[in-house]
Amino acid sequence: MSFVTGRSIPRRTFLRGMGTAAIGLPFLDAMSPAFAAAPKTPVRLAFMYVPNGIDMKHWNIEQEGAFGEFPRVMKPLEAFKNDMLQIGNLTHNSGRALLDGAGDHGRCAGSYLTGIQVKKTTVDIKASVSCDQIIANHIGNDTRFASLELGMDDSRQAGDCDSGYSCAYTNNLAWRSETQPLPPILDPRALFERLFGDGAVLSPEEKARQARYRRSILDFVMSDTHTLQTSLGPTDKRKLDEYLSSIREVERQLEKAERESVVIDPGMPKPYGVPPDFGEHFKLLSGMLAIAFQADLTRVATFLMTREGTSRSYREIGISDGHHPCTHHQGKPDLMEKVTRINEYHTAQLAGFLTTLKSMKEGDSNVLDNSMIVYGAGLSDGNRHLHEDLPTLLIGRGGGYFKPGRRIIYRKETPMCNLHLTLMDRMGVHLDNFGDASSPLDPASLT
Amino acid sequence: MQAGRGTAKPPIGIALDGDLGARLDALLAIAMLNGLASKGEARKIAVCISRSSLKAAQLADVATAFYSGRPLPGPGGAVGGNPDTIIGMPDGPSFATDNPPLAAVLSQKAADGTPQYQSAVATALDTADDAVLIRNMLLAQNDGNAAIVLAGPASGLARLLALYGSKPQIATKAARLVVAVGAFPSGPPDAALASDVAAARKVFAEWPTPIVAAGAELGAALPYPGASIESDFAWSKAHPIADAYRAFKPMPYDAPASALAALLYAAHPDEGFFKLSEPGTIAVLDDGRTQFTASAEGQHRYLIADPAQTDRVIKLYRGLVSAPPMPRAVRGGRGNAAAQQQQQQQQQPPAQAPKPDGIKPPTP
Repeated sequence: MSFVTGRSIPRRTFLRGMGTAAIGLPFLDAMSPAFAAAPKTPVRLAFMYVPNGIDMKHWNIEQEGAFGEFPRVMKPLEAFKNDMLQIGNLTHNSGRALLDGAGDHGRCAGSYLTGIQVKKTTVDIKASVSCDQIIANHIGNDTRFASLELGMDDSRQAGDCDSGYSCAYTNNLAWRSETQPLPPILDPRALFERLFGDGAVLSPEEKARQARYRRSILDFVMSDTHTLQTSLGPTDKRKLDEYLSSIREVERQLEKAERESVVIDPGMPKPYGVPPDFGEHFKLLSGMLAIAFQADLTRVATFLMTREGTSRSYREIGISDGHHPCTHHQGKPDLMEKVTRINEYHTAQLAGFLTTLKSMKEGDSNVLDNSMIVYGAGLSDGNRHLHEDLPTLLIGRGGGYFKPGRRIIYRKETPMCNLHLTLMDRMGVHLDNFGDASSPLDPASLT
Repeated sequence: MQAGRGTAKPPIGIALDGDLGARLDALLAIAMLNGLASKGEARKIAVCISRSSLKAAQLADVATAFYSGRPLPGPGGAVGGNPDTIIGMPDGPSFATDNPPLAAVLSQKAADGTPQYQSAVATALDTADDAVLIRNMLLAQNDGNAAIVLAGPASGLARLLALYGSKPQIATKAARLVVAVGAFPSGPPDAALASDVAAARKVFAEWPTPIVAAGAELGAALPYPGASIESDFAWSKAHPIADAYRAFKPMPYDAPASALAALLYAAHPDEGFFKLSEPGTIAVLDDGRTQFTASAEGQHRYLIADPAQTDRVIKLYRGLVSAPPMPRAVRGGRGNAAAQQQQQQQQQPPAQAPKPDGIKPPTP
């Protein structure tokens, strides 16, 4: 280790173990030299996407300005009223047909972060570099991982997933180039290994064997941990304990998921180790994302909570119908109610992630304060496939930039890409244009 | 929206950008656009006002809703809507002074004391940036199957040109721009051009399709007849266009109508309603006057009244401007009651079916 030779610990310090782990550290007080300017706290950005639109009647807060009563779908986020902005009237024109006929699900997912109308094809796919990857290209060298791509559903990259649109469009958010999407990691163990392991790709059998005999990854870095602890004050010691405990907790959840994976219905298209329960799966992935943000392993992430157009059922909350068929409810109250409940369930999961981020202290603030979590969908009304007034939350203060606790309504047809320009700017990427943006969002409206 | 690629082209789509706060003919043009659409000769793809004015936006909304109805409050909540029902308006922190007579139309009361016309535009947030709206709607048109009619300041179109990537998009989608501004070959300053000379110069210099101008002299030679207001609009007890006409000036009078000439030419460039000048270049002077310089390679022309066509054109104006709303699905909303009743008698219940959807069930 190199960090115990001076008074301060470098920001990018890893606890290392033989042949395995390299665990990044959260921000510790000891990383601030006594007489030097405090290091700049990084700002993180994550896009968390839900498919098939949202029940807008129970999503939109009526009045512009300070939040009043939250509607049903927003209710689970009540504890974060003062941490978020609800943004109205953002539009993705490139998600509309524009002469390309049916395929709103394929288009809206493909355009969500790329800002362009993707090519209608199942063969020679073509999109554009997504805004998260533009940022990752710009700041990715500052962290161990330029970006993380997470998902919880079908990861097929080929075939027709919507009216002639390739599955590459519905099943990815991040695009490294016009033709190269970045498939999300679905398997929590794979994410764990990527974050903390040696990066080797193991077969399911190897993973099972390793899981059966392995010790905690923390055991491997025990020596480094002890050495570090001797140089820390009590506050940092407590912070380090909490951090390592959170990693251990993820390990335990993983082991549990892997034990239970053997009873997964083989008809479900799930890779090995993916928990059958949506909430458990989300908790694992989002928990590791939170740790990755806390330890500054990455500052950019996309999280496809489920793929666009998914027909996943939610037996966890007693809904056996597929999500997508429910959204085409045609005004039938029972189906509309199911959509609302699925939307509520999603925001309840999000609340858990936000709780974790907010609990992660970082100097005088916390990781949530220093993040920009965009939660939303590429359709508003899933029944009518509308691409305007897209449901959008901007959660976190982006390092003290945003003034949350309000609903902001922009003029109709305001390009979603205007938000992307703003977010890129906050991440240090200053572009004049992106997609169909007309300008960045008015800073006066956000701060 | 149009049919998909590879299918027959529908009638030309027209985006109207007019100064409703100051020009009666811009309001008449909304009515004419409805008439053209009801005859299947053109489609309305966007209505914008070319100066930032809330009253003008409200009037445009009232007129548009009178003909098109309101978007359906669909299942799941009355959110979103069709972009072709949104009014475009330039961005700006303050609103220009509204023309009092036109604004007065909005305060008219019905016999029972309720507002005669109600607009869904309460604030600027209920409108769209005109440049973005026109760009978005152009992208939904078949190549070369759109036209833009400007009857007011060119500020919005100048901003459209400034949008990233817009010039090739305009060049691909729009066949022409027809502007009801200036005077040709010479004439007095045009207030619309004078209000934003830089924007007008940018549009004339950079617009990537041919531009055809309908000057004030053409509008004066082919006015909209005031007699039409009392005789041709009787099918509706309350009509926002007729009411605006009456409010604009003491009746009777014939209204200069260069916006109608521009719109008619945009829809029917080959019908011979007007003579065309030789090609050339239109320059905008500092005081808002226009100067036409002939040149073989010029992309600009102006329309010239053809005395042989006067009666035909005026008759067409009357028929198109006074046409009732075109048959369509019943819409809920707050448009003109008579027009809605007429629609309800003619049309089928609203279609509520979802769009075609090619989502496939998950593959095991």
